Amino acid sequence: MDSRVHLDNISMKFGDFTAVHPLDLDIQSGEFFSFLGPSGCGKTTLLNIVSGFLEPTTGSVNIGNEPMAAVPANKRPTSMIFQNLALFPLMSVAENIEFGLEVRGVSKVERRKVSDRLLELVDLPGSGQYRIDDLSGGQKQRVAIARALAVEPKVLLLDEPLSALDLKLRQHMRTELKEIQRRTEITFIYITHDQGEALTMSDRVAVMSAGRLQQVDSPIELYRRPKTAFVAEFVGENNRLPGKVVSVDGEQVVVDCGAAGQFRGQMGARLEPGQPCGLYVRPESLQAATEQDINRLDVSVETVNFEGAHLTLETRHAQLPTQIHVQADQRAYGGQVDQGSSLSLGFQADETVVLPEDRPLETADD
Amino acid sequence: MIKQLTARFGRPMTLVVLLLLWFWLIVLVLLPQLIMIDYSFKPNLIPSQLGGPEDVYTLGNYQTLIGNDIHRTIFFKTIWSSILVTVLTLLVSYPVAYFLAQLATAKQVMLIALLLVIPYWINEILRTFSWYLILSFQGPLNALLLGLGLIDRPVRFLTGDGGVLIGMVYAYILFMVFPLYNAIESLDNNQVRAARNLGAGLLRIHWRIVIPHAKPGIATGCIMVFMLAAGSYAVPALLGSPGSRWFTQIIYNWFFEGGDWNMGAAYAFVLLILCIGFIAAVMKVFRIGLGDIGK
Repeated sequence: MDSRVHLDNISMKFGDFTAVHPLDLDIQSGEFFSFLGPSGCGKTTLLNIVSGFLEPTTGSVNIGNEPMAAVPANKRPTSMIFQNLALFPLMSVAENIEFGLEVRGVSKVERRKVSDRLLELVDLPGSGQYRIDDLSGGQKQRVAIARALAVEPKVLLLDEPLSALDLKLRQHMRTELKEIQRRTEITFIYITHDQGEALTMSDRVAVMSAGRLQQVDSPIELYRRPKTAFVAEFVGENNRLPGKVVSVDGEQVVVDCGAAGQFRGQMGARLEPGQPCGLYVRPESLQAATEQDINRLDVSVETVNFEGAHLTLETRHAQLPTQIHVQADQRAYGGQVDQGSSLSLGFQADETVVLPEDRPLETADD
Repeated sequence: MIKQLTARFGRPMTLVVLLLLWFWLIVLVLLPQLIMIDYSFKPNLIPSQLGGPEDVYTLGNYQTLIGNDIHRTIFFKTIWSSILVTVLTLLVSYPVAYFLAQLATAKQVMLIALLLVIPYWINEILRTFSWYLILSFQGPLNALLLGLGLIDRPVRFLTGDGGVLIGMVYAYILFMVFPLYNAIESLDNNQVRAARNLGAGLLRIHWRIVIPHAKPGIATGCIMVFMLAAGSYAVPALLGSPGSRWFTQIIYNWFFEGGDWNMGAAYAFVLLILCIGFIAAVMKVFRIGLGDIGK
């Protein structure tokens, strides 16, 4: 089944407000694709454009190589799982799941077969006769998934469907969703502001901010090689050292961070010598310095949090405006660091990313 | 509840409030009804015969209604026409209520609600009379239709039941729109979107999602409009033709033209029973309880 989704020059304006700036995107057949971004970044608008609830201001949507421009929402090969699930409370569980088939004129017997099979798939066998109000949050979630799958969509659209669940259930449902996606081979487009969800489940993630695509990459690439300052700060935890580019040496950049010293890092996006920039280094990349380290930073410890497997240290360098967060193996420092103790930290150039300072995206209309 | 009232207003005030409440309920509501029922089972006598040998309970008044072909026909016609009015009002009000509740902006809701309410600032007789003018043989509606070339000679709208139906639908539309609006407004728009997303067209969305959700509102509106229509006097009196007399007009005639209160009471009691029967039937059909209607 060809269930590729192709967005061509899609943009969306509401009056003067631009919710989505023109963008192109290809989502592969059977891919688990997430849009990740803070609220108001335009991700839900994009979902509504794909589902046909919104007409884009410019551009076109293609699903499985077929243009969707003239196809109304109720005829598109997509099905949506709503944030509040939007199950039909006056219908039974089975009637909910069968609704899409009822619309398509499938016979009662056939419908019942499908709903029984889907209830099996989502681990709720034999609960077709229950009322929606009798179900728990997690069970409702499963019914919503079954209802969306019943119409055999090419693309399943998920609008933050896990946000109403408690933490434990949420983590469980992540695994389950991924499993269902693997079994059904349907393209999943998942909307979330929760990076944990996006990173654990997705094949690829599009990070959005202020109506623009910041970066489209696999979760690990997003984490290791952010291409914009927004992505570096939004995905995972990061320490940012402000500075200026001294020189560019192939893929590496030397950055001058004033009194804190000079550091080497990977060039995350195009940089010129003299350009203001941010040097990003993850808390877990900061280790006790060794002789070989080119990048060294001397800090004093302000807070120590013991979290079992690792310690998180909040440290400060006298000449830097913000605290430096360090996540260290408890075996390396356990019992050896206290508030006020001095540390010499080292970090690898290839675990450090240098990105342009300038961040007009966050001030864009929101 | 009495405890709460006492705690809040003190014993004397609570007593006054309760007494007034019971006075209203017993003296002003229940007692007159009981007296009318009592009347309806007695023959119409001149004062000197009261307490005499003829002053006994009888079913005579009810037998008159059953035995009188014309009255019986008008009775059933009133029921039938009231049902028709109810259905027509529902058909007219549903799109308005749906638009107000789900599609309109706050500003549009304000404007339309105002437009709906303003006519009700005018007395019912005057409102009805304005329809008399609009629908009359040489009235503006005929002039408009003639002017547009849709008809080649004026239509007599006011013969038959047409005028009464139009007048009543107009008079009671608010009593249908607001309960419907209340009910539809509480429907989560995502339900509609979900149904659409699963492939449902407009009709099916309404039939399977919106109408079942709005059921209590539909029932409330239908009950109110039916009661008002069945009990209406002004509209049939003004807009009705001799062939479209309403049962209320016969009750009126017994009381004020015939001077026979006993007969009038019997006729009125039958109408009351009918209305209660209608409510019970509607509640059964819509499978709702009294509590749902109160919402």
